[in-house]
Amino acid sequence: MSGKEQHKTAPKDRIPNGQKFAYGLGSIVNNLLGGAIGYMSIVLNVGLGINPALVGTLQAIPRLTDALTDPVMGYISDNTRSRYGRRRPYIFVGAIFVGLVFALMWQLPEGYSEMFYFWFFLIGSIIFYLFYTMFATPWVALGYELTSDYHERTRLMGVMNFMGQFAWITLPWFYAFMENDRFFSDSVQGARTLAIIIGVFVALVGIMPAIFTKERFVGQDKEVKIKNKFVEGLKKNIALFFKGLLITIKRVEFLKLCAGTFFLFNGIMLVGAFSSYITIFYVCGGDKSMGANYMGLFGTVTTISTLAAIAGVTWISSKIGKRKTFIIATSIMFFGSLLKWFCYNPMVPWIVVIPAPFIAVGMGALFTLMGSMIADVCDLDELETGERREGMFGSIYWWMVKLGMAIAFGLSGFLLNGTGFVVDFGGAQTSSTFLWMRIVDVGIPAFGALVAIFSVASFKITEERSYEIRSELEKRRNKSIKVEKIAPNS
Amino acid sequence: MKKRFFIKTKTIKQILALFSIALLVLTFACNNSDNDVEGDGTNDKVTIVITMIAKSSANPVFISAKTGAIKTAEALSEKYSKLKVVIDWRTPENESASEQALIIRDVVKNGSKAIIVSCSDEDTLTQAINYAVENGIAVMTFDSDAPNSKRFAFYGPDDLEMGKRLMNELAGLIDGKGKIAILGGNKTANNLQERVKGISQTAAEYPDIKIIGTYYHPETEANAIAVMNEVIKSNPDIKGLAMVGSWALFGEKLKSIIEPGKIKIVAVDALPVQLEYIEKNYVQVLLGQPTFTWGEISVQTVIDKIYLNKKVKEIIRLNTIPVSIENLGGWSRQLRAWGYKDIPEKYLIM
Repeated sequence: MSGKEQHKTAPKDRIPNGQKFAYGLGSIVNNLLGGAIGYMSIVLNVGLGINPALVGTLQAIPRLTDALTDPVMGYISDNTRSRYGRRRPYIFVGAIFVGLVFALMWQLPEGYSEMFYFWFFLIGSIIFYLFYTMFATPWVALGYELTSDYHERTRLMGVMNFMGQFAWITLPWFYAFMENDRFFSDSVQGARTLAIIIGVFVALVGIMPAIFTKERFVGQDKEVKIKNKFVEGLKKNIALFFKGLLITIKRVEFLKLCAGTFFLFNGIMLVGAFSSYITIFYVCGGDKSMGANYMGLFGTVTTISTLAAIAGVTWISSKIGKRKTFIIATSIMFFGSLLKWFCYNPMVPWIVVIPAPFIAVGMGALFTLMGSMIADVCDLDELETGERREGMFGSIYWWMVKLGMAIAFGLSGFLLNGTGFVVDFGGAQTSSTFLWMRIVDVGIPAFGALVAIFSVASFKITEERSYEIRSELEKRRNKSIKVEKIAPNS
Repeated sequence: MKKRFFIKTKTIKQILALFSIALLVLTFACNNSDNDVEGDGTNDKVTIVITMIAKSSANPVFISAKTGAIKTAEALSEKYSKLKVVIDWRTPENESASEQALIIRDVVKNGSKAIIVSCSDEDTLTQAINYAVENGIAVMTFDSDAPNSKRFAFYGPDDLEMGKRLMNELAGLIDGKGKIAILGGNKTANNLQERVKGISQTAAEYPDIKIIGTYYHPETEANAIAVMNEVIKSNPDIKGLAMVGSWALFGEKLKSIIEPGKIKIVAVDALPVQLEYIEKNYVQVLLGQPTFTWGEISVQTVIDKIYLNKKVKEIIRLNTIPVSIENLGGWSRQLRAWGYKDIPEKYLIM
């Protein structure tokens, strides 16, 4: 197309389909764990009567602990040397314990005070998020290193993202399941049972990536031995941790990807509630059941479109490269965001679903291409620093995503209030309120998409550059192996 | 290498088996005490018939309430697998408290579990309500209460608060100064007089506002217009009118006695027929009642009380919604969603 050489993935760089599938199972678990607490927390308010503000606090505090635990876990995993690898032992143990803790933290006894439940759940959440980090951070890093091929990385991320969507399809049904009076006397009992089902699923499925994938960098790096005493060793590790952290957050190409993700993803997250409010209160005039039907239809169209988009993006990326694919996909999403302005029509409510496939293209591309591009950054980082730090890159990237989500959820309420929305007025909001709601709903994601395009447009690791980096790294590794091989005889 | 992998897989299988057993034990341990819901061995649905008695089936506000009741009954029947909620609509065509009382007495014989009623006359219906309650029927009132009866709950506006809100809206429109009059409707209607009281109390907080009088009249368009005409003619410097009902806005006559915007008017109720007055600035604010929720909240409250055995509040307050040119479009769409017909399209697209 551009006249440049189109690289084909060598057979040795192909990840067997079984391994891709096993890695993708981790994505279902990861998304399930990421979303389950949010979708089940309604029980804390509706079932146990905990103040909504306290429920919000319960969800916010673990995000703060994540800020520390995620990069630390990334550092630990990057610097682990074991016969089973740097990632798989943590994924295995983490999956089992996070499943167990999740099942236990929802076994809330009845008849206690609000503060009892608050502390019970807060302590449970903190332990849960520790094990979640233990599972997720090495799992993310594992994905960056399963292959060194530019295109195969995208295929792996495509499979991962595709499979991960099934968690998002399941999550919205949680409340209906917990509330189902065929099975449970109340939603609290429903939450208890659902948590056990999820816990068992997470433990059994979450260990699959640990069992069925193969790490590429087991035993390739020299072990960093700290012969000093424990305290000195700890000091040195802390110093190395912060040094690694600084190098990571100073890597410009990585920051471009972070900025692109932050603005694109959080642009959508920030106005997630707005779409529902506009559909119910503006398009459907306050008819909640009609609005819920259109929102359900919107969700279904989005899901199907996202699955198709992931497959399409993965294929197109192998033809024109990741950067161009990302820009095209995000431009389609930008168009979809603008289209919403015209598709909020109270006289023709059904057209509210038309923008869904366009927006889904951008969302489908985002986590497929970003994971693959971060893996390319890890190669560049190794070339320049001599270290492989997928754990650190992955943890910072995902922490940024999670923090952004928390900020988005926190801000969306203020934004809604800022438009003048009064909940008691239902569909009878003022024209200016509806106008501002629509401006925010259309404008913020469109702006986010533009910033993402701008950020990624200057991303320097093209297909050609990626193969150059790989070639240099392989030369260096071969040299290192040869030196090690001849050393004992010399 | 292969052998090592085999040994590892075997170990993993053993760990998995142990872990699965542990989780299964945990599942049973956590759930064995609460499984009685499924354990009754029957799949029969409980059918709850709720008889709905509004004031008049010719009045669109009660048609909207009926829509709310039916939609809520359907939603509850879908939500709870062992429950079927049926609405038995038994409303006189024209307002008649005695007919309502007869219906209540008849309902006692027909198997209804609950009655929701908007009382045309408190005194006439109190006895009938008590009779139904004594025969095991749960009775709730909406819109218009019978507070001395044995009904378990009432859903409706706080009329005193409504009057206060009405006055505050009017004060804002006339910059807190000038002469105003109150159109009080029927002097014997308790709810209307509570509104008048609320207006008077709040007006006292505005030193530059003077109430020139409270004018009572029969609740028809013609009577309301006649009183208005007289008040305006005898007080040419009047700045505002506070109307506890919107009888004057049921037809076209108002347009012939005032100029748009010259006298500021705030009135209770915002029905489709009255929306043109907002559009053309004859009336600046209407306090709309979400009539759909009369049915919606009442049915939900009855089910909470008699099926879910929840504690319910005795008085559940309805919030009015101020309707002005600013939210005329939103209010019109809301009315359509509540089941009102014949709303002009020009308002729906605002």
